[in-house]
Amino acid sequence: MDITFEHVTHVYGQKTPFEKKALNDVSLHIPSGSFTSIIGHTGSGKSTLVQHINGLLKPSAGRISVGDFVIDANQKKQDLKPLREKVGYVFQYPEHQLFEETIIKDVCFGPMNFGVSDSEATKRAEESLQLVGLPAAYWHRSPFDLSGGQMRRVAIAGVLAVRPQVIILDEPTAGLDPRGREEILSLFSDLHKRLNLTIIMVTHNMSDAAIYSDQVIAMDGGKPLLADTPEEVFSHVELLRKVGLDVPETMEFLSKLLKKAGKQQVVTAFTLDDTADAVIDLLNEVKDHV
Amino acid sequence: MFNLVIGQYVPMDSYVHKLDPRSKLISVFLFVLIVFLANNWVTNMLMVLFCLIGIFLSKMHFSFIYKGLRSVFIIVLITFLLNLFLATGGTVLFSWGWLHVTTNGLTQSIFIAIRIVVIIVVTTLLTLTTSPIEITDGMESMLNPLKRIKVPVHEFALMMSISLRFIPTLLEETEKIIKAQAARGSDFTSGSLKSRIKAIVPLLVPLFVGAFKRAEDLAMAMEARGYHGDAGRTKLHQLNWGWRDTLLLVSIVLLACVLIFMRN
Repeated sequence: MDITFEHVTHVYGQKTPFEKKALNDVSLHIPSGSFTSIIGHTGSGKSTLVQHINGLLKPSAGRISVGDFVIDANQKKQDLKPLREKVGYVFQYPEHQLFEETIIKDVCFGPMNFGVSDSEATKRAEESLQLVGLPAAYWHRSPFDLSGGQMRRVAIAGVLAVRPQVIILDEPTAGLDPRGREEILSLFSDLHKRLNLTIIMVTHNMSDAAIYSDQVIAMDGGKPLLADTPEEVFSHVELLRKVGLDVPETMEFLSKLLKKAGKQQVVTAFTLDDTADAVIDLLNEVKDHV
Repeated sequence: MFNLVIGQYVPMDSYVHKLDPRSKLISVFLFVLIVFLANNWVTNMLMVLFCLIGIFLSKMHFSFIYKGLRSVFIIVLITFLLNLFLATGGTVLFSWGWLHVTTNGLTQSIFIAIRIVVIIVVTTLLTLTTSPIEITDGMESMLNPLKRIKVPVHEFALMMSISLRFIPTLLEETEKIIKAQAARGSDFTSGSLKSRIKAIVPLLVPLFVGAFKRAEDLAMAMEARGYHGDAGRTKLHQLNWGWRDTLLLVSIVLLACVLIFMRN
């Protein structure tokens, strides 16, 4: 499902003293089957942007199309359920949304709301719980007895069980330990590759954005500042710094190393392997000079 | 979604904002009492005039006051209609079956509507111009004499300010959970009454779990910082009773005297 924003503006608290323009004439395109990361300073409009994709927020002006659905500023009430079935949304700290007596029931909540039969919902729930790696021994326990990281997996399973084609992740790794982050991110990366899901991730972690995505959108002041491949976006080091953003640690490291070697160039390398290669290249060059 | 104006504070810089919360609380209390003295056109118009001056001095936008009124408009309307048809006396203006509208009934119902509107306007003005913390501080200071007879005034004030402090947090949390469950296909706004009531469970459970957790965290944080109640505490914001506060009280008392003099 292609996602297109056309001149979308969103104003919070319109006509009150608290009026705030969160999105300002945003136009952008997220191709079907892509992994898109949205980076930006706090308050740059990232969450507001993604909440338009499944109709949780409505634009104050402009229009959004998601596959065949069109969300228009002037449109009165419309049925958003079919859209929400296609577009899953994992909120920040999704473990706060758990409520059922047992884990399996909570995961079934989504599919049942979209009119899936009991047995089918249970089947999907079991599948999703396996995907997120929660052992079957837990399934009939209360979700409130789990650890924070496990609760988050259950909440994510609850979104996966609906079988969306697009998944929005709002800082999915906030508050997790390094191993937890790695596992959650590789789960989504795997889903993206295997099932060709469109994934849109809001993140503060530049390395995650760089490693996993095909497209990075950098937001600033309610507008997309840059929208391109990670290599292209992170080559604008100065611009990113100016709006309170950073580059991945690997690039930081390389730029310091290059400076030591007396070079002023920007190398984009995100994974450990690429970084190692870049270092080897540099060392070879230096050796040739000596 | 949560567009409640009653009880909402709008930070601004005006004479009314700068008044001591104690003088504002006492004046609003007295004002609500003396509203009942007004029983003719002149006295009622005086009350309206007083409100208008208050709004003007607070620099508050009229639309804000109007929003506060809109939520109680139906109550005003019902009392207006009840009085209109039930009050007797005077000449009959209009009758329809057993319903009669008399001149007395008409003036009476207008006066009562004015009374309600005026009360709501001053109380809205109080909360719009005074932050919840200021209100509880003011109350605590006014109730201070009760400490002599071992009433835990400080603890009550603390409880009040904590609950007021967490109202916006809870609203935010509610909105977030509504969104999260809506994203999972839950529907709060349509369907039969039964299905709507059922849709509240996925909202209430996380809300309560979160509230209890937050309360525990807060208690822990307070203990960790050595909080032990009233004894020897100082305040960040001292209350200051200035000449404007005295002026406000004097004008309320004058207004009361004028009302007693002018009413029939």
